[in-house]
Amino acid sequence: MKSEAEVKQTLRDWIIKAAGGKISQEQLQNDTPIIEERIITSLQIMDLILQLEKITGKPLDVEQLKPGVFRNIDSIYENFCGENGDEN
Amino acid sequence: MASIVELAKRLCEVSEKSYLNPYTYITWQESMPKEQWFMSPELISIYGTSEYDKLDLKQKQILSFYESVNFFSLNIHGEKSLVEGIAHRLYSKELKDLAPYLHHFLDEENKHMIYFGGFCQRYAGKVYRNRKLEIPREYAKGEEDFLFFARILIFEELVDFYNIRMSTDETLEAITRQINLVHHLEEARHLVFGRQIVEYLFEKYSPSWSEKVRRNIQEYLAAYIVTTWKEYYNPDVYTDAGLPEPYDLVESAWNTESCRAHRKKVSAKIIEFLKERNMILEEPVL
Repeated sequence: MKSEAEVKQTLRDWIIKAAGGKISQEQLQNDTPIIEERIITSLQIMDLILQLEKITGKPLDVEQLKPGVFRNIDSIYENFCGENGDEN
Repeated sequence: MASIVELAKRLCEVSEKSYLNPYTYITWQESMPKEQWFMSPELISIYGTSEYDKLDLKQKQILSFYESVNFFSLNIHGEKSLVEGIAHRLYSKELKDLAPYLHHFLDEENKHMIYFGGFCQRYAGKVYRNRKLEIPREYAKGEEDFLFFARILIFEELVDFYNIRMSTDETLEAITRQINLVHHLEEARHLVFGRQIVEYLFEKYSPSWSEKVRRNIQEYLAAYIVTTWKEYYNPDVYTDAGLPEPYDLVESAWNTESCRAHRKKVSAKIIEFLKERNMILEEPVL
């Protein structure tokens, strides 16, 4: 398992690529609301889920997701990779 | 609206005449040996990749079994949201005159899930999980209904290509072929209805939409085609078939030129339909 900083950097790189020029590395912070600000769309979440499964090595059940888990990099890390990761 | 109501009446007659009992249509066998084809090889998601070419016949057939379970599973997830959406709109002010046909629509989609679920649960012991997620948002007037029916149409047009091919592929296992056949026959009616309702809603509401709303819809539908295709590349399938590095395989298959050509070929009809009506502007990057 990668360190917290490495996982967040992997997520940041994925978001920058998926956003297709909507935001730069410098602009994207760990608390930037990526859905609310339409940096990524709901249709891209499927790819993000695959990315998270690859990082954590754990399957993710969409039907069990709590609202707001994809709000920003911090919440994604906390809900899927951090101490609460097994709850989702 | 009058022409759709007329069409819906005709479709109702056909649905009534060809009404099927889903509990007797298929004679389920107890077990399902996996050493046979369950999906036409050229429809297998990684067909044309170097990883596929390395597999022997037995491995290819086992993969075809899990690919078929995935195809049936993604149909279940697609039809679940379809049934929810149709049920929500049944007897709504906008669509009340179409209610008799919407009842058939619901009935037939429910039956399809019985076939798909029956196969998946009996022979694979599971339905593959869904990874698609829609986040609620605000819509312009008529936008939500239009997008709902447009999503169904895209989903069903792609699925139908597979159903047609597999319903006539005599090398396939018989129950698989039978499910694909019945799905195609009933979806053919849904597609005729779907094209009409999508056109009707777009013509009725799009003049009132701002340029921004219209542009968002065009981008959304193009992206929806891409996302729909991504469901066909499921790492869980590759894991079950015993293939190594399943997540990397998703990526390499997606980027293989012959797989891209396949997606473009299957999507050509629906893209043309949407483009001709300005529902999308540019072709999605498949």
